[in-house]
Amino acid sequence: MMAQVMRRARSARRITAGFRTVEGALWQGAARVAVLLPLAALLFAVTILAIKARPAIIVNGWGFLTRSKFDLGQSYATTVNHIHGVAVPVGASYGAGALIAGTLESSAIAVIIAVPISIGAAFALTERMPRWVSQPLGFFIELLAGVPSVLFGLWGILTLGPFLATHIYPTIANNMPNVPVLDFFRGAAGHGEGLLTTGLVLALMIVPIITATTRDLFSQVPPLPKEGGEALGMTDWEVARRVTLPWVRSGIIGATVLGLGRAIGETIAVAIVSGSLLASVAPNAYGTFGTLAAAIVTQLDSASTDGTGFAVSTLAELGLILAVISVGVNLAARLVIKRSTRLGAPVGRAT
Amino acid sequence: MTLGEQPRPVRPTVVGTTPSMAGIDPILEALDPDRSRPADVVHSKGLTLSFGQKRILSDIHIPFRRGTITALIGPTGCGKSTFLRTINRMNDKVTGFRYEGDVTLEGASIWAPRQDLLSLRRRVGMLFQRPNPFPMSIRDNVVAGVKAHQIAKGKQLDVVAEERLRQVGLWDAVKDRLKDSPFRLSGGQQQLLCLARALAVGPEVLLLDEPTSSLDPISTELVEGLLRQLTPALTLIIVTHNLGQARRASDNTMFLYEGQLVEHGPTEELFERPKEARTEHYVTGRMG
Repeated sequence: MMAQVMRRARSARRITAGFRTVEGALWQGAARVAVLLPLAALLFAVTILAIKARPAIIVNGWGFLTRSKFDLGQSYATTVNHIHGVAVPVGASYGAGALIAGTLESSAIAVIIAVPISIGAAFALTERMPRWVSQPLGFFIELLAGVPSVLFGLWGILTLGPFLATHIYPTIANNMPNVPVLDFFRGAAGHGEGLLTTGLVLALMIVPIITATTRDLFSQVPPLPKEGGEALGMTDWEVARRVTLPWVRSGIIGATVLGLGRAIGETIAVAIVSGSLLASVAPNAYGTFGTLAAAIVTQLDSASTDGTGFAVSTLAELGLILAVISVGVNLAARLVIKRSTRLGAPVGRAT
Repeated sequence: MTLGEQPRPVRPTVVGTTPSMAGIDPILEALDPDRSRPADVVHSKGLTLSFGQKRILSDIHIPFRRGTITALIGPTGCGKSTFLRTINRMNDKVTGFRYEGDVTLEGASIWAPRQDLLSLRRRVGMLFQRPNPFPMSIRDNVVAGVKAHQIAKGKQLDVVAEERLRQVGLWDAVKDRLKDSPFRLSGGQQQLLCLARALAVGPEVLLLDEPTSSLDPISTELVEGLLRQLTPALTLIIVTHNLGQARRASDNTMFLYEGQLVEHGPTEELFERPKEARTEHYVTGRMG
């Protein structure tokens, strides 16, 4: 990728060889730096993360991914163990299994709730409402995307969580049939912190971005295929399901991934609402849990008390896993898009 | 001629072409499926149409005979497409749409409260200016309307798909890629696919809005030839900018000018011996 960028930069120089003015040369230089800066920053961040995480990776091994444990050991002890040449406090033991599971579970819940809502909202905005309603409403939804996540977290813990735990969760928990998958929603309804509340708050946070993207996609679908459906005697719903949606399917998957990425990486709201557990998964939908991102931010303070630096190194390893999951989700989504565009027309393609 | 000697087709050719027969044999007349149906499938009775303050069509009176092809000609902006799109009520949702007068299908108003919009559109099909396949496989495109109207299901759908693709002469070209995207077909093939899709739901009337304007001459010829084969089972109304096409492919022609029906009649007559000066100017190319 780096080589490609360099190649492009070189060819750009060839085309514009010979600056007439100093400003031209400055502009050229500034543009080149601007192109390379984000890439350099990303490479730098990942490299530093990897270097910091290296001792933890050596000691924790592959078992780190499946084990669920978070024990700093005796930070103030005078003796330290040396494992594979790495200084580790006595009794320190880590495993990210519960955090990985919690990250995936909460993001999955968020996406499952947010995607249908977003598609419905985008459809209503583009196809159902007059312009003077849809424009301010669309603006409002975009505004929602800019609300700081800490506010979502506070609202979740102070208002939404207690409300759900008192009025909604008990009813669901008591009436859910005792069959696989659904039995996850049975049992103690908790106090409002936990998996489902976190999923709902995350859903609310990613609805704006998915809605805004999907709305733009819908407005790009050419009218002729839709009219073709209507003229064939399809209902509006059938036109939406068989023509409009398939037309932008790959784009919607992309928008979903955008939302999923945000849900996976969301830190502070989840740290507030999840209950911030470190080494156990939620027993049911209402149970408290933890995620990779939330664990890093809540544990950074105490980890810095570990004189050997091993705890911080472990947090860096958590960050590395988080990065890998994010990239993995993105790549998987690209594969899905490749497959699903076989029949659909690319957005904006003239017919 | 007696019954049984020479089997008469169940569905007769154009009503009116054998007027003597009906009088001779009352039994045959009783067997005629079109016996009680009006000879005019679609009838515009004083249709006046406006979008907001803008009047598009004024007092259009014209019947469309069963099993004929009518060409709808006139300069750009004369209301041709609007008239066509009125018949399957595609204009209804346009902001400010208002109408006076009436349009009937088989004698019943298309705006009658009992008239279901979806079944009206099943009976009155439409082909558009440019091919507009759906983002689904070729086979699914053909049966999309059939599925929506629940006319057939399961294995029958494959039968319908093959039958209609054969009817439009596309079967041999696509039979090995029925599951592929329609967007890789040529423009002409895509338009034929859309025709197959429109025919699959069994319409009585087919509206064609400049169906060959985006096609090359060879595809155009192919489509024109097909249209002739669709009669007399279907009644066709075709909007065209191409006077040659109107002349070649239609039985009757109606000339619209500034929202008014200037003249209509048998195509040959209208082109050879137009009654109105404006018609003559248009068909001879002095106006348009």
